[in-house]
Order: sequence, then C-alpha cells, then structure tokens
Amino acid sequence: MKKILLFLFTIIYGFANAQDVDSIMANISEQKDYKTQATFKSPRLVLLQTNETQKANNLAFWVGHRFGDIGGEFGSSHTLYGLDFATDLYLGFDYGITDKLTVGIGRSKFNESYSALVKYRLLWQEDEGVPFSVTLFGQSSWITREPFSNNEFQDEGDRINHFFQAIMARKFTPGISLMLSPGYLFRPEAQVQDVGDEQNLFVVGIGGRFKILKRVSLITDYTFVNGLSRPDDLQTDYHNPFGVGVEIETGGHVFSLNFQNSRYITANNFIPNTTKSWSDGGVRFGFAISRNFNLGPKERNDY
Amino acid sequence: MRTILYHIFVSLLVSISCLQPLKAQFYQTTSASVRFYSSAPVEDIEAISNEGVSVINSDNGDISFKVKMRSFRFEKALMQEHFNENYVESERFPDASFKGKSMEKIDVSSTAAQKVIFKGTFTVHGVSKQRELPVTIKMSRDGKTMSLSSEFKVKCEDHDIKIPKILWENIAEVIDVFVNAEFKIISQ
Repeated sequence: MKKILLFLFTIIYGFANAQDVDSIMANISEQKDYKTQATFKSPRLVLLQTNETQKANNLAFWVGHRFGDIGGEFGSSHTLYGLDFATDLYLGFDYGITDKLTVGIGRSKFNESYSALVKYRLLWQEDEGVPFSVTLFGQSSWITREPFSNNEFQDEGDRINHFFQAIMARKFTPGISLMLSPGYLFRPEAQVQDVGDEQNLFVVGIGGRFKILKRVSLITDYTFVNGLSRPDDLQTDYHNPFGVGVEIETGGHVFSLNFQNSRYITANNFIPNTTKSWSDGGVRFGFAISRNFNLGPKERNDY
Repeated sequence: MRTILYHIFVSLLVSISCLQPLKAQFYQTTSASVRFYSSAPVEDIEAISNEGVSVINSDNGDISFKVKMRSFRFEKALMQEHFNENYVESERFPDASFKGKSMEKIDVSSTAAQKVIFKGTFTVHGVSKQRELPVTIKMSRDGKTMSLSSEFKVKCEDHDIKIPKILWENIAEVIDVFVNAEFKIISQ
C-alpha cells in the first residue's frame, strides 16, 4: 500500500514539475480583448452613415456624386443613361477629434444646402466582450437657395432641418458586417412637400458590407421611410431609398461605385424626398471618393 | 512481491525522468520589443510592439516566442488598420510566432555576448517556414537576466502576404525585423 502511495506521489510530483517552454508560455500569455476594427471601410455606405468614425487627428475629404435617371422618361440614350445630369453633388470634410468623436461639414448641390455633422461612438465591438458597436449620428442641414415662392421660407428657421440616428453595427466575420439604424428627421412645416405628410419622420435603416476580395466589397443599404410614421395615402409617390454598390479600397482612398433610386446624398435630403423608384427607371449611377489625411502626431498610444 | 517490485521500479523511473526538468532553468518575458521596418521608394513604414511573450529553457535551448499582430503600433492609424485588415489578416491569424531550439549551448554563467542560432518554425499570417535566426544573448552578472537581440528579414511572399501592384512603391517586399528582449529567470 505504501508503495502505491509513493508511486502516486511521484507521478503527481512529476507532473507538477514537468514544465516545458510551452506550458510556461500558456501560463504567461494573457488574452487581450481588442476593439474590432473596420466594421465598415468608410464612414458612409451607399446612402447611409456607418458606425465608423475618423481616427483621431485624421481628416477625410469626401466627394459624392449622383447622376440622373438611367431609364424612364428622363433616362435612356438621350441623356446617356443619366450621365448628362448631376442630381446631387456633395463635398465635405470629416475630422476625428478623438477615435470616438468626429465632426464634419459639407455642402450639397440640392437646395444649395450646407450641413454639419457629429458622430460619436457610444459602444465599440470587441473580439470577445462587447458584441456590437453603437454610434450616434446627428446632422443639421441649412437650405440656402432662393425661395421658389415669396412665402416659402418666411422664417430663417424654416430653412433648417435635423436628422438623428443610432447606428448599431456588428462585424460578424472578417467579410460580413451588418447594421441596423433607427433614425428621426425633424423638419419645419415649410419643408413638407406633400400637405398630408408628417412633419417629422421616423425611419429605420438597414445595411451591409460583404467582402468579395480583400479590398473589394459589395455594399448595400435600405431605409424604411414609408410604412412607418409616414401616412400611406399621400398624393406624392414616395419610395424607400435603396442603394447597392461596390467599394474599392486602395491605401488612403476608398472608391464607391453605386446605384440608387435616391437623387440626393445627405440623409436630411434623401429621407423626405425620394420620389424615384427602382422599378420605373428611377435608378441612377453614383460614385464617391474619400481621401484620408493624417494630421496627427507620430506616436500612437491607444486604439 | 512481484507487483511491489514493479511499483518500485516504475516509481524510480518516473522520479528519474522528473529530475531532468527539475534541473531546467527557464527565462521568460512578456514585454519583448518587436519592431519592423519597410523601406520603399515612396515611404518608410515602421511599427513596434512591446508585448512579445517568450520563454527560453537555457538547459536544452528551447525557445517559444509569440507576438499579437494587433499589438503593433504604426505612426498612422489607418496604416495600422490596413496592416491588420488587408495584409496579415489578424482576425484569422492573430499571432506571429517562433518555436525552436538553440543550435549551440547557452552558457548562463558567462557574461560575454554569445552569438547563437535558433533553428525552428517561424509563423506569420498562418504560413510556417523553417528558419535559422541569428540571436545575440548576454547574461547579467547574477545570471538572473538574459538580454536577447536579433535582426532578420521576412519576405512577404514567403508568408502569402500579398502587396497590390499599385502599392509596390509604398511597401517593401522584404521587411526588416528587430527583436529586443530582457528575460527574467523563473524562480523554482
């Protein structure tokens, strides 16, 4: 019996001390929960904003362009499938104050509107911990064109509208990211085009990115505007904004080539005013280019 | 009687085999510095991590080294993202590692600089290569600290890290790697 005990003892003693390089490595390697990066490659998908913000001290110049209808009454070869027209053009700068907070300004051709945006990352997805990201987005837009009629903008406040959105996004795999973004548009009575329409609109956006090559992704987004708070018996034939595109990344540039039924670029403009439909040739070609500039100090400590 | 003898025999065997690792001397670090440098016509890119984890068995010369790709810091945040996303794909292949053995005996009693070659498996981007890495080791006077430094090159192509043709002017095909670490003895 004693011998057996001794035998057991030596075995246990042996195991406890049979250390090798691998077992020590396993003991001292700590798991670190890194923040998920590049849920989307760009702060904008086709039409909607993504959860991405600029890196701290980075400035991005963003140009967006929307052409005319490909088909239908305004399309076909007479307008080279819409390429003769520019329904909207946006030039803007976004700047990352921190990795979590971005501010931006921009100007749209439509309504000669100037806009200012703020994006704040409330929650950041992690490898193991936090399962998804949440970014809050706010954008105010100011219409500067001449009024179409004498009483269109009686008050300066009639020219302004605001859009707020909570963007929830998750990178499911390195190649698949999805987002769900409830939003709310506040606009003055003067900007309501259809008398029966709601002044403020509640919307829900969905979108996704699907990598097909290491630097090329398919992107798409859809925004539910009709069927939510907007009445469904309006005279104007409103449609839900829907876009698909291809996103190509080359170092500091991101190019997006896309098709969408919405004529306008900023959410403040396309959410209340999309009257074109994919089914009647109202789809148009568009593109966007973003260029990143690093204005920050050389050394990085966080992220 | 026979079974008892058998037990004694096995116990002895186990005890003897246990004596060997007991004698072994281990050195470890969790803050090894790994720096890499890419020199190309348009720009030089440098990244550094101070989170390399490594263990050396000074008796048999075994080494294991690991560094998380996400721990590398770049001057430009976007470069860091591109490095992880497009080149090393750190979500799929989180670590770079080396596992091997010193081809010469490490003399822990000498304070002179010792040049040794570690031979083993070097893995980056999920692709393993047999490599012989030149390493300089210097022991502290009390034998409790081992300083290690190494310099070697990594060819992106060897590890299936693809550089797009339009970016060849920005990123070198061969990356210089510099490792510096101070290992502390593990008290037994």
